[in-house]
Amino acid sequence: MVSGRRASINRPPTPSAEEDRDKEPSLEEAINIKLVESGEKEKLMELLRERLVECGWRDEMKALCRAYARKKGRNNVTVDDLIHVITPKGRASVPDSVKAELLQRIRSFLMSTSLR
Amino acid sequence: MSSSDDAPLSPRSQLALSCFEELLDCAVADVASECHRIARLGLDRSVDAEEEELRVWAARAAAGGDQHHPGGGRAAEEGGGKGGVDVFGQTHPAIAADVVECMNCGRPVVAGRFAPHLEKCMGKGRKARTKTTRSSTAGRTRSSNGIAAATSYSPYSNTTNASRASTPNGVTDSVGGAGGNHSNHGP
Repeated sequence: MVSGRRASINRPPTPSAEEDRDKEPSLEEAINIKLVESGEKEKLMELLRERLVECGWRDEMKALCRAYARKKGRNNVTVDDLIHVITPKGRASVPDSVKAELLQRIRSFLMSTSLR
Repeated sequence: MSSSDDAPLSPRSQLALSCFEELLDCAVADVASECHRIARLGLDRSVDAEEEELRVWAARAAAGGDQHHPGGGRAAEEGGGKGGVDVFGQTHPAIAADVVECMNCGRPVVAGRFAPHLEKCMGKGRKARTKTTRSSTAGRTRSSNGIAAATSYSPYSNTTNASRASTPNGVTDSVGGAGGNHSNHGP
């Protein structure tokens, strides 16, 4: 560290090249990168959001949040709280059609990128 | 779809599923974040505590001027503008009550009645306006600017009297000299 100058961010040491060669991006990571780079992830996100709004899923989740906030006192809720409140019900209550549509699109994307 | 939940998932399907779950987690986080914001900002009108807060606030606005909750109550009710309370908790009467001095005739006028006063003041003060002869810019005003001003300030020039059309607001000419009345250089 240069004397008189403090690092403003605690930065982990830059991984050296040797480490990189051992750690290849996992398949999932590689797919993720491809999704983001091609813009497909954004499109999928938009599609999912749209479908969830249409089918009323979003309103259901908002109602859950509201009830929770009312119970706990509106100034006592944190985002984490709400996420934990919604997630189980949220995952379970996605309509099958929505899930199928999204899965279909993801699958066709995977096939088109010819990654396994 | 026959290939749904029954068969063991192929690696690709598993990948797709985990991908879908990630997207779903994002969507969940979105909703949670928005609801958190609504809760903390008190935008959810149907909450019981809020209703009470609203009622208190409405009563306060009607009474006109209780200054206990300038910030908190207002967050709940931003749309009720004409409730008559501003951000400092003050109420204002519908008609402005301040008394200002007319820059044309120099008379004290109630601010809420200023516009009508000005209408009359500038319209009827024709005789008073000829007093521009006394100001330093008089010659310029009456002969050249007068005509130009007459065309631009047409509401006032019912007659084509150029002399009275000079700078109602004191804008174009020097501030002291415009308006052309007895109290030109006074204040």
